[in-house]
Amino acid sequence: MTLIEPRVKHGDASDGTTPSGPLGREIVRTDGPLKVQGAATYALEHQLEGLLHCVIVQSTVGAGRIVAVDRSAAEASPGVRLVLDAGYSLMLRSQPDFFGNKPEGDDYTPFATDIHHNGEIVAAVVADTLEQAQAAAQRVRVEVEFGPVIATHDDPRAGHGNPVPLDKDWGDPDGALAEAPVVLKATYETPREYNVPIEPHGLIAHWEADDRLTIYEPSQWVDGMANHYATWFGLPFENVRVVSPFVGGGFGSKGQALPHSAVAAIAARMLRRPVKLAVSRPQTFTAYGGRPATRQRLKLGATEEGQLLAIDHDGSNETAANAAFIETLGIVTSMMYAVPNFRSRQRIVPVNTVTPGAFRAPGKNPSAFALECAMDELAVELGLDPVELRLRNEPDVDPETGKPWSSRRLREAYAAGADAFGWTQRNPVPRSMREGRQLIGWGMACGTHPVYSSPGEAMVRILADGSVEVLSSAIDMGTGTYTILAQTAADALGVPVEQVTTKLGDSRLPRAPVAGGSQLANLMTAAVHTTALAAREELIALGLTDPNSPLRDRANTLIIADGRIAPPSGEGISIAELMAAIGRDVLEVTRDTLPRKERSSAERLKFFTTLGGMERGTSIPKSRHSFCTHFVEVRVDEDFGTIRVSRVVSALDAGRLYNPKLADSQFKGGIVMGIGMALLEEGITDPRNGRILSANLADYRIPTNADIPHIETISVGIPDYDATLLGGKAVGELAIVGVAPAIANAVFHATGKRIRRLPITLESLM
Amino acid sequence: MASVRPVKLDINGKEKTLSLEPRVTLLDALREHLHMTGTKKGCDQGQCGACTVHVDGQRVLACLTLAVQSEGSAITTIEGLAGPDGTPHPVQQAFIEEDAFQCGYCTPGQIMSAVACIREGRAGSDDEIREFMAGNLCRCGAYPNIVSAVRKAAEATA
Amino acid sequence: MMNFDYSRATSLEEAATLARHPGAMLLAGGTTLLDLAKCEVARPERVIDLTRLPGLNTITVGESGATIGALATMSRVADDHGIQRRYPAIAESLLLAASAQLRNMATIGGNLLQRTRCPYFRDPAGYPACNKRDPGTGCSAIGGITRDHAVLGTSDHCIAVYPGDLAVALSALGATIQTNLRAIEIEAFFLMPGATPERETVLERGEIITAIAVPATPLAANSTYLKVRDRQSYEFAAASAAVGLELDSDGVTIRDIRVALGGIATKPWRAIAVEDALRGRRLDEGTVREASRTAVDGAKSHGGNAYKIELAPCVVARAILKAGGIQ
Ligand SMILES: Cc1cc2nc3c(=O)[nH]c(=O)nc-3n(C[C@H](O)[C@H](O)[C@H](O)COP(=O)(O)OP(=O)(O)OC[C@H]3O[C@@H](n4cnc5c(N)ncnc54)[C@H](O)[C@@H]3O)c2cc1C
Ligand code: SF4
Ligand code: FES
Ligand code: FES
Repeated sequence: MTLIEPRVKHGDASDGTTPSGPLGREIVRTDGPLKVQGAATYALEHQLEGLLHCVIVQSTVGAGRIVAVDRSAAEASPGVRLVLDAGYSLMLRSQPDFFGNKPEGDDYTPFATDIHHNGEIVAAVVADTLEQAQAAAQRVRVEVEFGPVIATHDDPRAGHGNPVPLDKDWGDPDGALAEAPVVLKATYETPREYNVPIEPHGLIAHWEADDRLTIYEPSQWVDGMANHYATWFGLPFENVRVVSPFVGGGFGSKGQALPHSAVAAIAARMLRRPVKLAVSRPQTFTAYGGRPATRQRLKLGATEEGQLLAIDHDGSNETAANAAFIETLGIVTSMMYAVPNFRSRQRIVPVNTVTPGAFRAPGKNPSAFALECAMDELAVELGLDPVELRLRNEPDVDPETGKPWSSRRLREAYAAGADAFGWTQRNPVPRSMREGRQLIGWGMACGTHPVYSSPGEAMVRILADGSVEVLSSAIDMGTGTYTILAQTAADALGVPVEQVTTKLGDSRLPRAPVAGGSQLANLMTAAVHTTALAAREELIALGLTDPNSPLRDRANTLIIADGRIAPPSGEGISIAELMAAIGRDVLEVTRDTLPRKERSSAERLKFFTTLGGMERGTSIPKSRHSFCTHFVEVRVDEDFGTIRVSRVVSALDAGRLYNPKLADSQFKGGIVMGIGMALLEEGITDPRNGRILSANLADYRIPTNADIPHIETISVGIPDYDATLLGGKAVGELAIVGVAPAIANAVFHATGKRIRRLPITLESLM
Repeated sequence: MASVRPVKLDINGKEKTLSLEPRVTLLDALREHLHMTGTKKGCDQGQCGACTVHVDGQRVLACLTLAVQSEGSAITTIEGLAGPDGTPHPVQQAFIEEDAFQCGYCTPGQIMSAVACIREGRAGSDDEIREFMAGNLCRCGAYPNIVSAVRKAAEATA
Repeated sequence: MMNFDYSRATSLEEAATLARHPGAMLLAGGTTLLDLAKCEVARPERVIDLTRLPGLNTITVGESGATIGALATMSRVADDHGIQRRYPAIAESLLLAASAQLRNMATIGGNLLQRTRCPYFRDPAGYPACNKRDPGTGCSAIGGITRDHAVLGTSDHCIAVYPGDLAVALSALGATIQTNLRAIEIEAFFLMPGATPERETVLERGEIITAIAVPATPLAANSTYLKVRDRQSYEFAAASAAVGLELDSDGVTIRDIRVALGGIATKPWRAIAVEDALRGRRLDEGTVREASRTAVDGAKSHGGNAYKIELAPCVVARAILKAGGIQ
């Protein structure tokens, strides 16, 4: 990655040289050695005595009612301990999901009686071995009365959908569109897309006592999940422990306990044995919903010079027949460009699908696909360079709220990206560039992601040998949390980063909110920074005042650097020596970044276990967002319509990067996923019964190594202390936003064909 | 009908005797019976490469191999890759240095595959690495860094 | 997966005897068999492991032809210098298939016998109707999503694609399949679905493929395999073509040509009409494109797969041009 804008500032990742402290340095992942040795323990790899194996049985029809479940053949299968269904299970207390959907009534069972979607859990089998459980699961016979299935929003019976209260309005869009010299109208569609982390879902449930439950489950939010189990089983929060030290990818899909989670906990409870439940790869496609299919109609009005006059956005997404999920489609449209007249509306269309869910940059990602393709179409219409069109509409303040930006360096991103890509060499005429039988297309688009922030909590422990521990229930799913929290603590305390270890992913540790919305790095570095500063203060106070301290009364203050504590001038001692002298084994400090108000423990808990604690920015004086722009080259075979992305240059403004090496991996990972979204990924649904036909990794095609070209990333961010305490902005979800439209725009430039429905597969270009 | 039988496996140079049904895959034998969980299960259908191990020096998929089938073969897993003194294999080292992973779940499979890829002489160019590492999916999208790591390790061991 | 007995065959005779038992299945690389056993499509009661049978994995490339033992792995055959030099289409079709790991496991014999990737076939729980899997139950694909289904050689009973790559190259090169009982020309080896889609080859129960023989011809030495798919790698063909081309000494007249298609038909598909249209003609792009259109004579679309009818002639044309050195 290239870092531009040289500047020298403590810990500033964007200075292009070495930051003075550990934060902002490109150090390698602290959890790397474990991962490359296969020694990192993922959820299903915890070893427990007497473990049994549970396999779920999913419905094979899209709608209907269960008439009977015949468990007998499964029960008679070798090794089987238990067969569960709606008629034979435990009743749990119902608990709303992430998005506020609460199952009907006060009781909850994960086993369906009325079928709302194909792949709903109807039964489960527990046996001594995995093989026995798998074989027996095939022998559960389910008799159903079929109901009418509306499989997707392409089915005319699905209708127009239900409006959701996300209207945004300003000015007079209808009037402005009627009078605009140039008007563009187009409809854009994205298919169902799935998170497919390479570690499938699953868990081990272990009742350590009748009222104490330990869950080993890959989790983006151990506190939220623990709360979910606690409610289900009527336990105090403290009696549930969720352990998730390593997460094999989540991308939004591992934020909450899911129906199969309840199944494992019920089975373990009924059998009084630990139970492991691994969701099979095909089952994952309905165990968690993924991004819903979307449809967006955009109208843009502009002057001949390319000044936007109006945007009218009408979006809809599929949701489940029995639950509401909103993919917030207007979210990018309303803040990217200066526009005096605006309207966005959104509807959700119930169909027989599993409840869709969060998938990397929910809302932002499909929203940008529509807007950024439409901007490209407008540029073509006007005969303007697409970068120039964007520059002409670059807003000085947030067009929706009128607030100033905390920072918005898109101009710098355009300049750096275009320069590195060689954009000025582009012949704007479609089909004008080719090499042999390959048509070459250059396209660009932008992306953005809001900066969310919630409070966090951390503990810092200074040990007798001078080493430091950082503890938090926050998680690391490859996002680098282990590493950057060690860097943060080292930076604030003045110790070498090698002396710091981080412990994460256990709900017994100090609280953290969900690792979602790209908020965790910023809020946890803030919490650790705050805590580590407090620990440093305390250590200095001890050094100055403890009767046995060799530094006592040597100065007014002490300085800690490189693991040594010293007066401003003169010799110091190591932290270990000080700890020994004052006879301390450990110095332990816990702090949080909750708003400075007294809070009851119930309120505190609520902050960390519900989404209510997530700061959405209304009370914040500045509009806080990350930005990026992608420049892409594609090669399209003129006979086959096959598309290869051959070059990507992305310039990103994500504020200060706490570890540019790891942030860069997040950027590239987002771009890779964006390439999959543009060209490959599609949850193909059988219109007859709502079954997902591509429910495996061969048919739900994610990119392989061979699909990914060289990717150049350029960080144009500068520390943004109006956005977050330590100056970072959103990183993890940013880079996927805008990749798909950049590719679609490049495909247009290569072929002259405007494809408005993803993925762009070969038949769409033939 | 078949039941449990003794199965002798040579794993990382150590002989292990297990009682297994014939249908148990090498992957489940490793993970569930031997508690050697370094080898990962991403699909159980031959579609992701997370379960890549070496059998008689060749990279193969443990999820589509029966444990009994590998009796008499030398099996190497990620746990057996480092030197006897624990020195990481050059590919492991390169993966750390190049940040060739994020969540780390595909990583043991990637590394086992990369070691074989280099040994097969298929790491001659970035494009060759991309093609011959295509059987290992990475949803975190670490591909560009995986290519760098394989190139670096290939150069180091050349 | 149902449990099964496992035994290692020590001789071909023993394997053949064991394999004649109903419920017995042969195991080579296992990449098809175990995959299908996990989906409950294959339900073997006894698995007979062939992989330790001696002498069945040799590759001999001689003046008159090549013989490839049925147990040779895809990767060994692809890496064999003799095969690469004299039968490039074979090496290329193998290298473009599956992944490095699968190619190290999968055998040549097993490869020919791989089963369709039709999603309905692979999902017995979701789709009880599949004539290929359970004869007489109907076909779930017809009237469903058919993007990956065949446009050639289909019947009212089944429209599933034969997914393999190697067999396409072997069809173009006129290979013969040798078994413990007989030698079968590849053209006669694969069956069209007709009313019995469950029967995919002429092999009898207990019949074991021992080797594949390919004649050495100038055409084979100048052959190529072209595979088109959405993903760059690790994916089956949307359409593919194998071409063997022999030019006259003038370097432009086509003396002989053989063409086969993959990814679009219910079996590896010889395009004899294309061959006839080109034999004796000049190798130029216009002629080749014109002739290639006949590759899909008689093709029938089922909706989602209509694009294959357009795509296949382009793939054939480009493969012929490639074999002729016109890139
Ligand atoms: C994810 C994935 C992707 C793939 N991609 C491709 C691709 O792109 N192109 C492609 O061509 N293939 C592809 N394949 C298929 C793969 O090539 C085949 O599975 C493999 O070649 C089968 O060989 P095997 O030795 O493993 O067969 P096995 O699974 O051992 O056997 C297959 C069948 O043949 C029978 N059999 C095996 N050997 C003999 C013999 N000597 N005599 C008689 N019967 C025998 C078995 O009883 C069984 O019914 C892919 C497979 C997977 C899992
Ligand atoms: S196309 Fe053939 S394999 Fe597919 S469902 Fe129909 S009968 Fe079965
Ligand atoms: S787990 Fe074996 S290939 Fe995916
Ligand atoms: S590092 Fe997460 S899947 Fe590869």
